[in-house]
Amino acid sequence: MSTGIELTVNGVRQRVNVGDDDLLLEVLRRIGHTSVREGCGVGACGACTVLADGRSVSSCLARAVRYDGVPLTTADGLPEDDDVVEEFVAAAAMQCGYCIPGFVLMGHELLAENPAPSRAEIAAHLEGNICRCGTYQEICAAIEATAQRRQAARQRRSA
Amino acid sequence: MFSGLHSGAGGAVGERWARTDARAKVRGELRYAADQPLRPCLDVVLHRATRPHALLESVDVEDALAVDGVVAVVTGAQLYERFGDALMTGPAFSDQPCLAVGKVRYVGEPVAAVIARGLVPARAAAERVLVDYAELDAVHDVDAAAAGGPYVHEELRPSTVFGDLKHLRGKRDTNVNYEYKLRRGDVAAAGHDAVERGGVTVREEFWCPPTHHVPIELPFTAAWRDGDRLEILSTTQTPSYVRLAVADLLGIPLNAVRVRSAPLGGSFGAKMYDRLEPLAAALAWSQKLPVRILASREEAFLLTTRHGAAVTGSMTADAEGRIVAASADVRYDTGAYADVGPRITAKSGMVAAGPYRVDNVEVRSRCIYTNKPSAGPFRGFGVPQVTWSHESLVDELARESGVDPAEFRRRNLLREGDVSAVGTPMHSADFVGCLDAVTEAVGWDTPLERVDGRLRRGRGVAVGIKAVLTPTISNAVLQLNQDSSATLLISTVDMGQGSDTIMAQIAAEALCLGEGQVRVVTADTDVTPYDTITAGSRSTYHTGNAVRRAAEAMRDKLLELAAERFGVPATDVKLTGDGLVSAQTQERVSVPELLHGHFGARGTTLTTEANFTTSWVPYDHETGQSERVTEHWFAGAVAAQLTVDTETGRVHVEHLAVAGDVGRAINPTLVEQQLTGAAIMGIGHALFDQLVFDEGQIVNGTLLDYQLPSVLDLPDKITPIIVESPHRTGPYGAKGVGETTIIPLAPAIANAVRDAIGIRFPRLPLTPERILTALADQEASK
Repeated sequence: MSTGIELTVNGVRQRVNVGDDDLLLEVLRRIGHTSVREGCGVGACGACTVLADGRSVSSCLARAVRYDGVPLTTADGLPEDDDVVEEFVAAAAMQCGYCIPGFVLMGHELLAENPAPSRAEIAAHLEGNICRCGTYQEICAAIEATAQRRQAARQRRSA
Repeated sequence: MFSGLHSGAGGAVGERWARTDARAKVRGELRYAADQPLRPCLDVVLHRATRPHALLESVDVEDALAVDGVVAVVTGAQLYERFGDALMTGPAFSDQPCLAVGKVRYVGEPVAAVIARGLVPARAAAERVLVDYAELDAVHDVDAAAAGGPYVHEELRPSTVFGDLKHLRGKRDTNVNYEYKLRRGDVAAAGHDAVERGGVTVREEFWCPPTHHVPIELPFTAAWRDGDRLEILSTTQTPSYVRLAVADLLGIPLNAVRVRSAPLGGSFGAKMYDRLEPLAAALAWSQKLPVRILASREEAFLLTTRHGAAVTGSMTADAEGRIVAASADVRYDTGAYADVGPRITAKSGMVAAGPYRVDNVEVRSRCIYTNKPSAGPFRGFGVPQVTWSHESLVDELARESGVDPAEFRRRNLLREGDVSAVGTPMHSADFVGCLDAVTEAVGWDTPLERVDGRLRRGRGVAVGIKAVLTPTISNAVLQLNQDSSATLLISTVDMGQGSDTIMAQIAAEALCLGEGQVRVVTADTDVTPYDTITAGSRSTYHTGNAVRRAAEAMRDKLLELAAERFGVPATDVKLTGDGLVSAQTQERVSVPELLHGHFGARGTTLTTEANFTTSWVPYDHETGQSERVTEHWFAGAVAAQLTVDTETGRVHVEHLAVAGDVGRAINPTLVEQQLTGAAIMGIGHALFDQLVFDEGQIVNGTLLDYQLPSVLDLPDKITPIIVESPHRTGPYGAKGVGETTIIPLAPAIANAVRDAIGIRFPRLPLTPERILTALADQEASK
């Protein structure tokens, strides 16, 4: 069975035909979002993370048909001046880089919920994402730096 | 001062340049192999063996062929008919068919390949392949396999690549495919003498379980025919090797095979030599079809593993606390196919006595077939397994001798100019500097609050040694473009270690180029020159030297062109960041002006190339001795402070200090990431990481079951320390670093646990269950 759905990815709406069993991961990759990647196929590594309405989802476990009309964000669609991206680059928060888009989106989700997370809160939020190269310290530092940057911007605005 | 150490004027070496692909990686725009646009390919799904050791009575593909969308179903028998013995591939032994021929040797071995339009029909058809097995007795235990039958292979089949394995050809009735021996002095006599005079001997049976690399990117290979050529895109660390292996398999010239790699999403040894490539090549060539194979995570666990290893070790110290004798009997479980196991057996056997001054050494290191998935190279190349033995033993020896474990090591460690147990002198391997750095970082000599409620606190240290792969070959081709940007052609594969950035910095140094001015071309055997492999921490030194030579040749060409233009001798011209200048006339010219003037056109390129090849003296087959067994040594040390929770058995690392002698850090940030990243991987090996088998079947081969270090497993503090004792022939003094800190990591943790609770654990990993059981035994024996 194939169904026509409307996928909204990074603000762009498009009609796509998907099979009932097609995974969101497969469909997003098919339409060019190769920043979304398979690492385990069982929702245990976080490499396939996307944001659906701002909430992180393991797209390797998600059926595409369920995301008809749901606004989706992938790392490749973040704005050019995205602050989390910039802080990841500044903190050298990458080695092989394969898992990093997932961490970037997790950082966005956390900071939207909790603008000033402690290191322990950051770690708890990232627990389900695996960086096999072991770049965790840099990743946590990048998310902290983004929080501080947003805090400083808020202070400037209110001053 | 070594002449090799003078930096260029470039100011690139030693700088913390950002990775060349940093932003693309963070935004997910970097394209790994499976992300690359390809011509339309058919999907390949494998039917895999369900028995560990069995004859293939029949393989029935009729039902599979009937599935809608299936184009072909191929068996090993068909491929053998087409390719004959060339179907048997492997880097050390030609023992592995890409599809089983006649019999299967491990659970999960590929038996038939379904080629279909899409994964759905391919998967459905793979389930409909019917196989009749005649079961054979299987051998799962490495010591049982060493002792006798059943035999995994009827006879040994060393590959033609290594001449020194020739004597093993045709040997029958054995599972031992290689044995390395090291003999120096007289262990028995020296041990006896020392003990007679108040010395101490310690001995133990050690075990490291098999583990898996689990790079998060899954293995992927696509292959297609293009007329009389075969093109391959693959997740490989070894494109030059793959080109040769595929040309040999298909019986076509090297220039008829094009192998492209891509940035790798991690590898750690998992994506090298023969993985999916022989199968993809054989299918594409014989069926004349474009194919792609994407391994699932469960299949990736079957493609290669890290060797489980048993070590029976002993060490003796005399009454003055000097190590006088050491022995190790090492058994590597290499699984059903040898892969590069024989090389691992030798390379780790060489250092099984540790980085110590020991006059009497006896090592026997064997590579043994069992009915398991093949084990191959893994970050550390077998050395962590022997280090687990020698660094546990030396710790006990220190305690038995009544000497502080760090001080005991310091007295015995090899120094510059000392001759190692294999007979090769030491250079640029500052073990003492690494040891001092890590012990100082954790406050080794400061008092420790040992009991903290139910927690017991301890400190431990360990040192590691490894020889770099020798002999090997690297080449570099450098193009300086007329606008003064540069394009570097090498076959080194960036898999996260940052080689593209390191090589750009080395090239930039001699040419006074800036960050972002050197572009490294991704390995493509049609374009980039031969490079042995990207592995064994060899690239910074070997490829780095080739790149440095190519860049220096380019600088010399520029000096000549400018001298011609200025009408002065080349020795009068200097290259700076602003271009070329004559000391005599003060005349100046920029690189773009110089090249434009020389060629009379814009957009032109000036090309240089260079080779760097290392040599060795092969070790003696009876004694393992060689005056030059390796080009250089890696030296590292780890110190840990941790607590053991006596109620849960959990280990919590409070501070981990890791140091490596890298000769010279080309990019300190990337060096620190290697030191730290290898240490985090090593924490997994120390505390929980292991592949569990039951009668040859992997029990925990998914990421729901296989535990990997997460952010919650980080120590409270990690201190990476760069030690630099420059290598006389390293590029700007540099050596590699990818494996250095994983080597002594597990024993440093275990030694700290020993310090905390007084229990020696000879078997990895130190799971809470193991610790609780040992604590209960300790309590019971009080």
